[in-house]
Amino acid sequence: MSTVKRTWVVNGERWTVDLPPGRRLLDALRNDLGLKGTKEGCGEGECGACTVLLNGEPVTSCLIAAGQVPDGAEIMTVEGLEKTEGGRILQEAYIERGAAQCGFCIPGMIMSSFALLSKTRTPDDAEIREAHAGNICRCTGYEKIIEAVKLAANRWPEK
Amino acid sequence: MPATVQTRDPRWVGQGIPRVDAEDKVRGRAQYVDDLLVPNGWHGHVVRAPVPHGLLRGLTPDPAFDWSRVVVVTAKDIPGPNCIVSHDRSMPVIASDEFLYAGEPVALIAAPTLRLAREAAEHLRIDFEERPAILTLHEVADQFKHNDPALVKLCGQTIRKGDAEAALARAHKVVEAEYTAGHQEQLYIEPQGLVAEPTGDGGVFIYGSMQCPYFIVHELCEALALPPEKIRVKQAAVGGAFGGKEEFPTWLAGYVALLALKAKRPVKIVYDRHQDILYTTKRHPVWSRYRTGLNRDGTIAAIAVDFLLDGGAYLTLSDVVMYRGILHAAMGYRCDHVFVNGLVARTNTVPSGAFRGFGAPQAIWGLESHVDAMAAAAGMTPHEFRLKNCLVQGDTTPTGQVLKWSVGSPAVLEKSLERCRFDEQWKKCSRGKPGAKSWYGIGVSFFAHGAAFTGDGEARIKARAAMDLDWLAPGRPGGIVRVSSTEMGQGALTVLSQLAADGLGLDLSRVSCPFPDTALVPNSGPTVASRTTMVVGSCVYGAAGKLKKALEQFAGKPIASGKEFDEIASAYLNKHGRLRVEHLFVLPPGTQWDQKTFRGDSYPGYSWGCNVAEVEVDPRTLGIRVKKITAFYDIGKVVNPVLAKGQIEGGLVQALGYSVMEKIGIDRKGRFDASRMQTYIIPTMQDIPEMDLDFVEFPFDHAPPGAKGVGELPMDGLAPAIANAIEAATGLRMRDLPITPEKLYEHSQKNLGR
Repeated sequence: MSTVKRTWVVNGERWTVDLPPGRRLLDALRNDLGLKGTKEGCGEGECGACTVLLNGEPVTSCLIAAGQVPDGAEIMTVEGLEKTEGGRILQEAYIERGAAQCGFCIPGMIMSSFALLSKTRTPDDAEIREAHAGNICRCTGYEKIIEAVKLAANRWPEK
Repeated sequence: MPATVQTRDPRWVGQGIPRVDAEDKVRGRAQYVDDLLVPNGWHGHVVRAPVPHGLLRGLTPDPAFDWSRVVVVTAKDIPGPNCIVSHDRSMPVIASDEFLYAGEPVALIAAPTLRLAREAAEHLRIDFEERPAILTLHEVADQFKHNDPALVKLCGQTIRKGDAEAALARAHKVVEAEYTAGHQEQLYIEPQGLVAEPTGDGGVFIYGSMQCPYFIVHELCEALALPPEKIRVKQAAVGGAFGGKEEFPTWLAGYVALLALKAKRPVKIVYDRHQDILYTTKRHPVWSRYRTGLNRDGTIAAIAVDFLLDGGAYLTLSDVVMYRGILHAAMGYRCDHVFVNGLVARTNTVPSGAFRGFGAPQAIWGLESHVDAMAAAAGMTPHEFRLKNCLVQGDTTPTGQVLKWSVGSPAVLEKSLERCRFDEQWKKCSRGKPGAKSWYGIGVSFFAHGAAFTGDGEARIKARAAMDLDWLAPGRPGGIVRVSSTEMGQGALTVLSQLAADGLGLDLSRVSCPFPDTALVPNSGPTVASRTTMVVGSCVYGAAGKLKKALEQFAGKPIASGKEFDEIASAYLNKHGRLRVEHLFVLPPGTQWDQKTFRGDSYPGYSWGCNVAEVEVDPRTLGIRVKKITAFYDIGKVVNPVLAKGQIEGGLVQALGYSVMEKIGIDRKGRFDASRMQTYIIPTMQDIPEMDLDFVEFPFDHAPPGAKGVGELPMDGLAPAIANAIEAATGLRMRDLPITPEKLYEHSQKNLGR
């Protein structure tokens, strides 16, 4: 089987992967790069557990063919959060507010939070709900996630 | 000054400390089953019955396929009796001569890759003779109503108090109605998944996503022909369960264990979402019929209920689900004449199973809708009627239990009504007023939830917890909680750690609560029935207290500080090695229960709740928006207010889905018709209402430090509160869940046509 070679910057590090045809970005991250933090909940882009940032934009990695992610693309997964100040602030806020219960949706949810706060430092309620509408959580009822995002927004670093 | 040792107030219980597993979860480090490396592991796949009912004539392998690359298991490979023990031994692990639902396993295949396993399945021909099938609740409800002998009853049970029929005949007014609800899918975000590995001694080690490790041991030992100690079960991080990982993982464990033992290597099965929705248990569909009598003064003369559950193809746990259902079907109100007739009927569908609330939400859906109908017939408002008739301390339940302690009624009801100004808001309801831009309605529900197992269940299983004095790390002694209760998101590890720390009188850092492993933990019962904090937690608290006493005896002096504990515990460990103490749960003194007649103390205690829903309905589209929920709960002593509130919020949002969104039926082939996340719609962040939630604490003194159940309670009462609010908004009484705009429209047209 012919493979394609891609070089990406994942969580700030350069990675080169050999991708067989049809490999999903989710599998490339989990299996080729060993980044098991990102989860698969439905495989059809509905639950958002596989959300990662591709050049800063949240995407569902189960719907993206890895071979179509070009060389040089910047990818950020949940494992990369703690390398950034904002990521650490978000993680702290999620912990403080009790935003994680079973935790399976969190690796995707928190990436959507990060993408939102990276663009909008003081999001209103509607913006928070919209930004996370693609991330399904069955445990929390979302209240504590909204609280955590608001808390993180208050502490978000000045540029 | 001489040092004095003082008994201090609990230090950790009552504090909303962060979860002990939170950091791993927000960093993406928690390891769920699909994240674990399984060296030399193969992938398993289940070959399934193609139609809902048939006689299995044989399995014919395609001779052109290379079968040497895979391992196939059929019913013939099962070493022991082909059954999952469960409650009646009726369900086979793999169908052998007859199958009763579409998707029932007929063979298992393992291969080095999942692709190959699936490919092999396509080369295995299933020879069968199709038989007639019953597929829906409506069919069995019709059979029931017409006394049709074709109805297959899986089990039945009644509750009798006084003489309901005579009281109905005498009543001033009689109110009758039927209520139905469909399946609900748990939709934990992590799909089902387990790994089985053969152990060197002929046994098997099973690990992964589950609620009840000992279920797997005790329900498979016969089929696997292994003594219980040769089946070792350990949980991995669990990505949500809600009852969906109560009995189902036992079936899945059967599949992976049989494959692993035959293939002589580890085998993993992780379902994809489509398989997970198609082939795993759901909440039982319900049909209930209420006939109630009212006295002239607005009190309740009689309650007669028929309560029918669609059990699916096999009994599994449905008897106990129905028991909890009938015990809640007339609960909450003063009434001397009660008759509840509970029944589980067979359909040729996936066996229905455990889901948060376990029969109680289905019962309370009918009851609390019907209470509004009774209030209207009595000429009273819904809140006046409830305040007048609700059970309070000293009253007697339908089973004859006197509510002697820890009764959060009428407190939860009064406080909720006051907080949302129900009386004022009730007068503003639109009641379908023509010409309005938006219809507003408010509705209330009030309920109790039996805490822990039904009847004397807790006494029968002899739930116990252990605390080990051991090294947490080199040079660092501490107490290790050893229980079979699993962490599935609800916060068990955190709450049990808090209770252990308080039992020891030590800092949380001297306590550890690892995932259960049946090689290391006693059986503290399954992680179900809102019993973990109350029952197992109390055992942990008791065991920790005993551990402390044992150390104090060893030292000959009280332990007053963490430093003293470190010294004494280290000395003990160096001299004697590990110390284990256990604590057994005991029911309150005087508990009496007759499992045959369902008379007596049906639960050791009750949690109480009240939900108020405020809705807006668009008169043009009939779109329903739940704007606000006000709720008070009595869950006894609140061990961790942040986690408890998280349970309530999450449960209410699941209940919101059950009420107005989550719709799944059975198609003509007998399969679930909304078998993907694209079609099975649950609430997102955009759908959630404002929630005003609070607790009133009526501690349960017979299980120190006094917690009662919380997990299931928020699932119980929201659907009827919303239906009641929708009637207040539109004038339309909806009696079938979920309540969708389409159903509202159909109902409005029927009303116009009259």
